[in-house]
Amino acid sequence: MTLQGWVPKLGEYLTLAEVIDLAFDYRGNTAVVKVDGTEVEGYIFNRNRDVSEPFVQMFDLAGNGPFKIPYSEIQNIKFTGKDTAAGNSWLAWLERKEKEKAEKAGRLDKGTA
Amino acid sequence: MSVPLSQMWVVATYVLKQKLRGRKRYPLVLMLEPLFRCNLTCAGCGKIQYPAEILRKHLSVEACLKAVDECGAPVVSIPGGEPLMYPKIGELVDALVKRKKYVYLCTNAIQLKDKLEQGVFKPSKHLSFSIHMDGLREEHDEAVCRDGVYDEAVEGIKEALRRGFRVTTNTTLFDGANPLRMREFFDEMMTLGVEGMMLSPGYSYSKAPDQEHFLRRSKTNELFSVMLSDPKKHWRFNQSPLFLQFLMGKHDYECTPWGNPTFNLFGWQRPCYLLQEGYAETFQDLMENTRWERYGRRSGNEKCQDCMVHCGFEPTAVDQTFGSWKGFRDTVVATITGKL
Repeated sequence: MTLQGWVPKLGEYLTLAEVIDLAFDYRGNTAVVKVDGTEVEGYIFNRNRDVSEPFVQMFDLAGNGPFKIPYSEIQNIKFTGKDTAAGNSWLAWLERKEKEKAEKAGRLDKGTA
Repeated sequence: MSVPLSQMWVVATYVLKQKLRGRKRYPLVLMLEPLFRCNLTCAGCGKIQYPAEILRKHLSVEACLKAVDECGAPVVSIPGGEPLMYPKIGELVDALVKRKKYVYLCTNAIQLKDKLEQGVFKPSKHLSFSIHMDGLREEHDEAVCRDGVYDEAVEGIKEALRRGFRVTTNTTLFDGANPLRMREFFDEMMTLGVEGMMLSPGYSYSKAPDQEHFLRRSKTNELFSVMLSDPKKHWRFNQSPLFLQFLMGKHDYECTPWGNPTFNLFGWQRPCYLLQEGYAETFQDLMENTRWERYGRRSGNEKCQDCMVHCGFEPTAVDQTFGSWKGFRDTVVATITGKL
């Protein structure tokens, strides 16, 4: 399961702090929607709510940063970027290996290996 | 055991100094990750899954050295990512050696032969290439998800040894590892002439592609007991014998997450090399403001329950060696007799 493409609907059952935790754990870019309506897109690599003014830290899409954004300036976070931990390259490797094994077994059956 | 005497002495005097100063928490090995970029995508690795702009970034040499000085650990391990892809790896290693740090450069060795031919490194007792080898050819190539990597790594090992470098291996074991094949692997590495081998069970990174093959605690004990029972005299391990005995189930240790602190592009990683629960801007902040009581098996933290990885428990084993007569005696006996 991936959060890729998700636009959270904040409310009684989903708080901003929970969305920030999910964004921090997400291995893809996100768009931070600020309370003034502007958006900052990039990678959130840290969040700290054990301080007097909780904040997130991120690099932007060009890799510039880190930038610090206080929780109080965030309205929502959209999971816009590709989830790089979705495991697709490994699944492709497994499929290729299985295919190779099946082909080898087939050749052995036919006595052509 | 095969840690050189000079290195053993430096580590021993460092640990004893910490104890005399009454420091409860001290770093032993700095895990310095100058980049996350890698030329492999191994099934059990959860370190490299980042957007492209993050993978393109790397730390400056100055930032690396500032972290090394802040931390003060006598040993610096450079994992990653693949450190040979770090453009200033030669300069960084040179500066660390000048600081008399014992450096373990953890590499998959795909680029090692080329880098050695380019003269990027100079042999030193302070520098050891720690080559990632997860078993014999079939097992290793499967673990790194690419055919031919085992042979490239062996070429790199031979070339490094020929040029007079210290070479060790690091091996991560997963569920399904065959202990008899691993014993053959140990023979093979010793025949190649490596100085020593390092072993560890893998950690179940939540971001790793393969989530099915991580070892649980009882299975770890079982695997290591069979694999290391009656160890051959020519096998040499570049790690604490108490840690290996812990993996075999002979000791019950608690994790020392601050023992191998991690510094990377994001800062000082809380709480350890494996878990990413946040970042501190300074080493002091990491040590003083991390809620250590939330981690380790006894904390009840479910992410720690099956973990027996070297970065948490090898510092515990070293601390045991210098923290009790029993620990010291067990270490000396195992070192002299080679029995685990």
